[in-house]
Amino acid sequence: MIWAAFASEWTKLRRRTLLLSTFIGLAAAASLFVILLFSQAPTAGDGGGLPSLQQLARPNGLVVGVTRATVLLGIVAFGIAAAQTASEYSLGTLRQLLVRQPRRVTLLAGKMLGVVSFLLLALCFAALAAFAVAVIAAHTRHVPTTAWFTATGLGDLFRALGDIALAVTGFSVLGLVIGQFLRSAVFAVIVGVAWIIAVENIITRIVPGTAQWLPGTALDTVAAGGTASASYSHGLIIAAVYLVAFTVATAITFTRRDVTA
Amino acid sequence: MTVTAAMRRTGEPPGTSLAVSTTGLTKRFGARTVVDGVALAIPNGSVCGFVGPNGAGKTTTIRMLLGLIRPTAGSGSILGGSVADPATYLHKVGALIESPAFYPQLSGRENLKALARLGRISLSAVDPVLERAGLSARADDRYRTYSLGMKQRLGIAAALLPGPELLILDEPTNGLDPAGIVEMRGLMRSLAGDGITVLVSSHLISEIEQICDHVVMIRAGRLVHQGSVAELQAAQHPDFLVAPEHDADAATLATLLEAAGCTVTARPGEATALVAAPGLSAADLNRIAVGKGITLRQLTERTRSLERAFFALTSTDDSGLRPAGQEMGEIR
Repeated sequence: MIWAAFASEWTKLRRRTLLLSTFIGLAAAASLFVILLFSQAPTAGDGGGLPSLQQLARPNGLVVGVTRATVLLGIVAFGIAAAQTASEYSLGTLRQLLVRQPRRVTLLAGKMLGVVSFLLLALCFAALAAFAVAVIAAHTRHVPTTAWFTATGLGDLFRALGDIALAVTGFSVLGLVIGQFLRSAVFAVIVGVAWIIAVENIITRIVPGTAQWLPGTALDTVAAGGTASASYSHGLIIAAVYLVAFTVATAITFTRRDVTA
Repeated sequence: MTVTAAMRRTGEPPGTSLAVSTTGLTKRFGARTVVDGVALAIPNGSVCGFVGPNGAGKTTTIRMLLGLIRPTAGSGSILGGSVADPATYLHKVGALIESPAFYPQLSGRENLKALARLGRISLSAVDPVLERAGLSARADDRYRTYSLGMKQRLGIAAALLPGPELLILDEPTNGLDPAGIVEMRGLMRSLAGDGITVLVSSHLISEIEQICDHVVMIRAGRLVHQGSVAELQAAQHPDFLVAPEHDADAATLATLLEAAGCTVTARPGEATALVAAPGLSAADLNRIAVGKGITLRQLTERTRSLERAFFALTSTDDSGLRPAGQEMGEIR
């Protein structure tokens, strides 16, 4: 049953405009980030938070830089996911879907799986593109890339991609949840982006101890494989608690809500 | 409707069992009661008109039948499944709810495929319903390029997708031009010929009269009447348009008819009067007039319409609708 909802969602997701704009957009954003990383990197030391060329040449050099783009990828994933659920209300298509699949939790689960899998595929495509661009950028700045292709380098890269995929999954689920609650794509994106970029920063500055307990920061921690202020496992647990709580709340409200749109 | 087709679908002759039955179906939004204790009884194989003014509670009732809105109170059975668990019957139900809603970027065909996949309906069902709705030629065009009539037809195609035993159409002719309305009526008639039970809501009573054999009337959230269209029409008291040969006899004639128990409505300065004559025939009226030496220039029995029946049944209401006996193009 979930498979049917998943397959139906993919019929919508694979339309050319959405597919191309998401895949190419994410790949372009990630590639641009890599180009800036290499073009702005100092030869040695720390260039205002950017890794140096020496650091980039290490087995985990690329990982150090790329994980910093996670918030950008997360925001894109959040926006697309929020738009996908909220637009079912604004277009009125939800009533059609619920007549064909009246088990609402099944429909919600299938839609979530569809959107998350779509965004993870887009992420993989973006990662491949960014990696290819990184190899070219490294050669232009004479950064040796041999260490990237060692077992250690590839292991670090795949682990980092796994962590980023987890974080993007989290941002996608948050987007789906917020879109479902607010029922307006524009409003959901504004609220989500404002929260991730501004509100969490403000809260953290006012009450410094709260940083490791906020959902966006927790997902960043997961993407980075742990930070100085919070361990990887702590970030993973906090993010999971938020996501499970939000998903359960969404499932309950979606099941009970009258569909008048 | 062909009886054999209906029997083929349901296994029994039309009218012998109920496709939809509800008891005390109620919906309240806060303090406002939108649907109030509605008890529907829609026979299998019938084409049932669901009639009422805008805001009467038709769409809310339909949404409750489709599991989109949770009833505040009441129970019901649709095709043998409980209204409390729509999954038990919705796979046998097709629906067009208000205006059609599809993904604008997808083609008509892709939209139907998305719904077919969701409902675990074979994709081979898509082409035949597109054909039936007359959309085959434009099936691969994006939905956003469709005219209103084409969008409505795609909505019908989506409703037909599961091969429904019950088809629920909420205001299917809304926004259509006259040609589109005629086309939609033809489509509904042909569906009825297949033995599908059809519940079609409309605020246009004349439209319902042309295609339905059963009618449910609702007003202000309450059931006003339900039953056979023919019986309802037959039960009406006849109205006549009566005019004396000489205008000067109009007042005398009115007095005579009122004395015979008729209700006479005449416009000032006009000799023709509308006469509600319960229990009397045209011959009786003519006899009364001739008995006093008045020759009638006009004596016309008005068609017993569903529209007039609706107003007769709701004539005590004070919500701004015109009372029984007056011509109405539509209820608003």
